[in-house]
Amino acid sequence: MGRLTRHNLVEAAIFFLIVAVFFGFSFEFNQPIEIYIFGATAWPRVIIGLLLIATLGNLWFQYKHGSATQGTLGQSEDRPDFSAPGTIPRMVAVLLTPFLFAWLLKPVGIYSSAPFFIAAIIWLFGERRWKAILLMTVIIYVVFIGLFLMILNAPLPQGNMSPFYDFSAWILTMNAKLQGI
Amino acid sequence: MIENFLAGSSALFGDPFTIGIFVFGVIGGMLFGAIPGVSMLTLAAILLPFTAGLEPAQGVMLFAVIYCTGTYGGAITAILFNIPGSAENAPTAFDGYPMTQKGQSGKAVGAAVLCSAIGGMASALVMMTATEPLANWAIRNIGPPEIFALVFFGLAVASTVGARTIWKGWMSVLIGLLIATIGQDPVGGINRYNFGLTDLAAGIAFVPAILGFFAVSEIFVQAEKKASGKYKAPKVSMTFPSFLELWMHKIAVFRSIIVGFFCGILPGIGATLAAFMSYGEAVRWSKKKEEFGKGKLEGVISAETANNAATGAAMIPLLALGLPGGALTAMMVAVFQMHDLQPGPLVFMLSPDLIWIVFAAMFYANLSILLIGVLETKTILNLLKIPFQFLAPLILMLATTGAYISRGLVLDVMIMFAAGIIGYLLRRTGFSIPAIVLGLILGKIGEQNFAQGMQMVHYDIGTYFSRPICTVLIAAGAITLLSSIYRAFTSAKTAE
Repeated sequence: MGRLTRHNLVEAAIFFLIVAVFFGFSFEFNQPIEIYIFGATAWPRVIIGLLLIATLGNLWFQYKHGSATQGTLGQSEDRPDFSAPGTIPRMVAVLLTPFLFAWLLKPVGIYSSAPFFIAAIIWLFGERRWKAILLMTVIIYVVFIGLFLMILNAPLPQGNMSPFYDFSAWILTMNAKLQGI
Repeated sequence: MIENFLAGSSALFGDPFTIGIFVFGVIGGMLFGAIPGVSMLTLAAILLPFTAGLEPAQGVMLFAVIYCTGTYGGAITAILFNIPGSAENAPTAFDGYPMTQKGQSGKAVGAAVLCSAIGGMASALVMMTATEPLANWAIRNIGPPEIFALVFFGLAVASTVGARTIWKGWMSVLIGLLIATIGQDPVGGINRYNFGLTDLAAGIAFVPAILGFFAVSEIFVQAEKKASGKYKAPKVSMTFPSFLELWMHKIAVFRSIIVGFFCGILPGIGATLAAFMSYGEAVRWSKKKEEFGKGKLEGVISAETANNAATGAAMIPLLALGLPGGALTAMMVAVFQMHDLQPGPLVFMLSPDLIWIVFAAMFYANLSILLIGVLETKTILNLLKIPFQFLAPLILMLATTGAYISRGLVLDVMIMFAAGIIGYLLRRTGFSIPAIVLGLILGKIGEQNFAQGMQMVHYDIGTYFSRPICTVLIAAGAITLLSSIYRAFTSAKTAE
């Protein structure tokens, strides 16, 4: 095993999986192009091949030198630390909450989901004073609406489910009336 | 040239509405560049439909001004939050953010203000003088083989920056290149890796990917530090660098202007490569190489002078050849097309007024950085006093909107958050985010020009190498690659 750790093996396995998946799917578009003899697959397959070589080289380096570094420019000396209790569940929640928000954008729309998302992120970042959470949620929501809806008139997702869609429509109507004034 | 410049200036300042657009571009570019999570690209994407109602010169000028001031604005977020406003500000964060952590944010931002203005103004002056001869030279000498060679060279350099090991640097570039293969192939238009999603046929859009890899992943890193109790609020400082400190870096500024200008003129690469190369050159010529990446003022000076020096130069391929050098200049092509104009050599003949209004506006935009940059920066430095738990949702909301409005797709928001998670995991395991993003941006340009180049030389590699510029660039890339292969097998610093 040399100096390989379980983390190194998981990392290599993920990259081997990426290589296998992308190589496998490259057969779906493996068709000739009349004006270009290398076709549509040559470029991605060269990249996949090089990624396989680099992954093997990385694995070899970790086998020989463990977690040693090499003199590259601008590398961060910051290392992750999950030793404190509760860090991992909280990080999983931090990583998944934005996805839930993005998934809700289509049915619920941004105007209805944003306050809950803002409050959730403030809470996940460790704020526990509910008055502060409430106040900052309102401030951020107002800044967001003011900037993108009232000043820039940016088209934002309104949702397609009642009553969320109706709420978005009400906000847009209010904005139109305000602009009229 | 002076008469043309004066004519451009009087056209710019002779009409109150045009002045209003100029001022809006200056302030908007700086603000959007400086707000974490959004960038000048967000503003440009929002404004693009509205330019249809402007005169062609006003529309193109607005985007040119946003490009100048937004490039500077992106340095502020790079320095204060480790969130580069765009890819060209990534090397600024290498030393700028460590300076913030050491309580020297004011010094780093002050240097960025001055050097961005100097680099931008010098570039604008050279651009005005040299556009026509350079355009003529480029038309004769730069073709697809040269552009591919440039991409190869740029990626070889990028693989040596930011990752924990050289192997991981290469893997980072290759991940970026692999992501860039998603969407239609640039030669035959065949769908690749769209996994049945029609929205993926156009590929992964740059704006959500860049927002995810830089802004969202940074939020996740800060969340991890908060959760583990390792979070340290950045220290605010208002001490700007002294004239003597800046004078000591005059050679770095001069070198960065040259590197920035020559990289910026190259179509398809522009300011990003300029900033990386200039930073690399600063390290190469320094006697204290080990201080780079730990908060060295010269790192900020080199990157910021070069990326603004590239803004003027990036207009040359755009205006002379119709080749955009990056995402924002690509949007400028759309502004031209909205007005039934095609950027290229004909614009110089048919619309010289437009060209000189744009040139004059770019010069004054860079001058504005110097005049109002310091004032605005002091306001922005106060952002650091806001606790991060309140700043994080604001950044995420702005990023969500930025990702959505560029194409109006919820999928882009999903892609942004996915890029954020991938970026977070890759950052924490020692991969380089700037290298991934450079691979993503240059991937399609590289493939397209490789294919066109091979068709041009009838698949004869010998003919490819008979082109001197191409040979020099491929040789430079190969030397960079070979030296890093040697180091990959021979160097290793034991972890603590």
